[in-house]
Amino acid sequence: MTDFLRQALLAPLGETFFIKSLVGGMMTAVVCGVVGCLVILRKMSFLGDALSHAMLAGVAGGYLFMKLAFGLEAHAPAMLVGSVLAAVLTVGLIGFVSNISRIKEDTAIGIIYTGVFAAGVVLVSAFSEYVHIDLMHFIMGDVLGVADADLWVAAIAGSIVLSVIILFFRFFHITSFDPILAAAIGIPVGLVGYALTVSVSLVVVSAVSMVGVILVVGLLITPAATAYLLSDRLEKMMLLSALFGVSSVVGGLYLCVWFNTSGGGAIMLFCTIQFLVVLFVAPRYGILAGWFRRRRQVPQQVMEDVLGFVLRQEGAVTPEKVTAAVTGERSVILRALRQMLSAELLSSQDHGLGLTEKGRREALKLLRAHRLWEAYLHRTGVAPERVHEIAHQLEHLNDPDSVHLMDHLLGHPLEDPHGSRIPAEVSHEPGKKLRASELRPEERAAVLEVTEKGRDCGLQAGDVVICGPRRNEGRTWVLHRDKEEIHLEHRQADAVWVAILGGNG
Amino acid sequence: MSTKADAPPAIDVRNLTISYGPRPALLDVSFTVAPGLLVGVIGPNGSGKSTLIKGIVGFIEPDFGEVRIFGRTMDEVRGEVAYVPQRGEVDWDYPITVRQVAMMGRYGYIPWWKNPQPRDHEMVGQALEMVRIADLQHRQIGQLSGGQQQRVFMARALAQGARILLMDEPFAGVDAATERAILDVLEAAKTRGRTLVVVHHDLVTAAEYFDRLVLLNQRMFAYGTPEQVLVPSLLSEVYEGSIRSFEMLAAAEQPGEGRES
Ligand SMILES: Nc1ncnc2c1ncn2[C@@H]1O[C@H](COP(=O)(O)OP(=O)(O)O)[C@@H](O)[C@H]1O
Ligand SMILES: [Mg+2]
Repeated sequence: MTDFLRQALLAPLGETFFIKSLVGGMMTAVVCGVVGCLVILRKMSFLGDALSHAMLAGVAGGYLFMKLAFGLEAHAPAMLVGSVLAAVLTVGLIGFVSNISRIKEDTAIGIIYTGVFAAGVVLVSAFSEYVHIDLMHFIMGDVLGVADADLWVAAIAGSIVLSVIILFFRFFHITSFDPILAAAIGIPVGLVGYALTVSVSLVVVSAVSMVGVILVVGLLITPAATAYLLSDRLEKMMLLSALFGVSSVVGGLYLCVWFNTSGGGAIMLFCTIQFLVVLFVAPRYGILAGWFRRRRQVPQQVMEDVLGFVLRQEGAVTPEKVTAAVTGERSVILRALRQMLSAELLSSQDHGLGLTEKGRREALKLLRAHRLWEAYLHRTGVAPERVHEIAHQLEHLNDPDSVHLMDHLLGHPLEDPHGSRIPAEVSHEPGKKLRASELRPEERAAVLEVTEKGRDCGLQAGDVVICGPRRNEGRTWVLHRDKEEIHLEHRQADAVWVAILGGNG
Repeated sequence: MSTKADAPPAIDVRNLTISYGPRPALLDVSFTVAPGLLVGVIGPNGSGKSTLIKGIVGFIEPDFGEVRIFGRTMDEVRGEVAYVPQRGEVDWDYPITVRQVAMMGRYGYIPWWKNPQPRDHEMVGQALEMVRIADLQHRQIGQLSGGQQQRVFMARALAQGARILLMDEPFAGVDAATERAILDVLEAAKTRGRTLVVVHHDLVTAAEYFDRLVLLNQRMFAYGTPEQVLVPSLLSEVYEGSIRSFEMLAAAEQPGEGRES
């Protein structure tokens, strides 16, 4: 078995044609992968397609020129130069058409590249006695028939493109991400764009003879897209993209010799399957991961409902009681309980689950929001039997600033409409500094400061006061200073800053 | 005035609370607008001005509270309220003429098997006259100046027959002449009994442009005539942040002591 495997893997390596394909393919894949990252990040995928088709006209033009002028057959450098020229011409025309007319760029690309490609096709067929280009070869490529010249072209084009991208990496990075900033700091955005276009043209041109027009686009886009699913940084994306390109070439070539199939086809098939696998299993951006994440996620609302329920119970509760009382799917609630245990909002106690200190604070915060909303609803004239139900929805609007504001607008009520106590915003332990309006009956406090709007109340810094019950439906605060009774309105009570004293009198 | 007192208000916003998360974007906002008023909505960035407009037009479901239009719910009066989009939301290369855009305001009334009736043409014509772009009606919409483009969509709203027009920052990024032109149309619409609510960001011109102002920052700080609303103490409270946010800053500087004054 292992012998068979070794044979299957090693035998092709003995063949020169296979080694050449492997080397050529890998070089192309690396460059395609790196450039492809920039192409997909700039949403230029269609451009690769356009360029690869358009270059037929250039190849034919170069071929014809050398043949007619110098009598040279299939002169590779001339065809290469022709291709690059055709590619640049295509890009220029696309920009021209979309800039001077209302035609949008995607449409312009479609028009221009098919036009240039058609010109190539007509040229090849019209001069078929002089030009011996096999259109089928051009479209499908022949990865197993890589010639030395192709290798040289790929190596030279590849080194030029890679050098440019590595040297000017930051330029490419910033013009792709934020061209406006790039322009503002003096980077020639247009020039960088052209450099990238020429790079893409070079890559495409050097790869077409091996993998053909259709597949070169795949080699440009697919490994980059695969890497995109796995990376949060461009450098890493380029590295992975190159790797995926190489693995596609290696895997595809073996498939091709084992099953005797088309080389380009096998490579791209391998590449696409590789993409699909990553799409499915990628740790963060993959389909499976997203699915798991959604499953794990517990709606904030359910957590808050659980907290509210546990707080209202005497002592510990069993998970069964929670799932019975809180609305929502049983599995979701159980997951909420597990997460709250690990977040230390709940702790397991003798007879079930109880709130930790942190959980208690959170729950009181919710209860406070709930009861303030009830007070609010009562005041706006909502029917008493509906107050609780609506407040249960509104309690999830509980951001601290907004609750603080509501409390103030309602005049710092002490009880909700059912007569239940509204928890204070912060715990009133000795030393706590707050406004007199926030004092609860029977709390003892020292006056720290009386600001502008409360000067007329008669209190001054240093006084020690004890809070009495409110009067006048909660609109009058009563503070006792020794035997004296001092009445404050809301405005004055807000202006008096006090510190809680221990040992209530 | 006494005859108007019995008529229902054009817009009645009651206890409106709208949220996108735990912090309500609007908290308990209430005000009523009598028919025929030009109302400006002012407030700092993120204060909920756009949210208010979207709430009135019925685009966002409130958490609590409701909006009544001429005493009826939004569902009962679809078509009475028109919303003029911000300029950035439109594809100005779209092959359509000024008149065709305005005619779209009538589409809600034309059955699919019929062509626009003479009455529809008449209303569109009137609307174009009113915003004074009738002479440009066969132009493609891209071939207009910024202020004219804004007016095309106002014409559409008028052709719709809506008695209430809502606009989110129509004056953003236009030059002084254009601003004047738009304002003229607002006033023309007003004299024909339309009620307008317009988000505005410039406090300096607010007093001059509007009959009433809504001063917003999550909750409504004031609603009334410009003299009542543009009071320095109110404005400084809304624009320079409340006392609470100074407290928060102080708290951030000295962790552990949340309540230092
Ligand atoms: N679609 C949304 N999703 C989440 N939050 C939003 C959304 N739209 C607005 N907000 C938030 O609501 C608040 C009010 O926004 P908005 O009504 O657009 O204010 P304004 O128009 O006054 O600048 C802001 O804090 C904003 O961040
Ligand atoms: Mg806005």
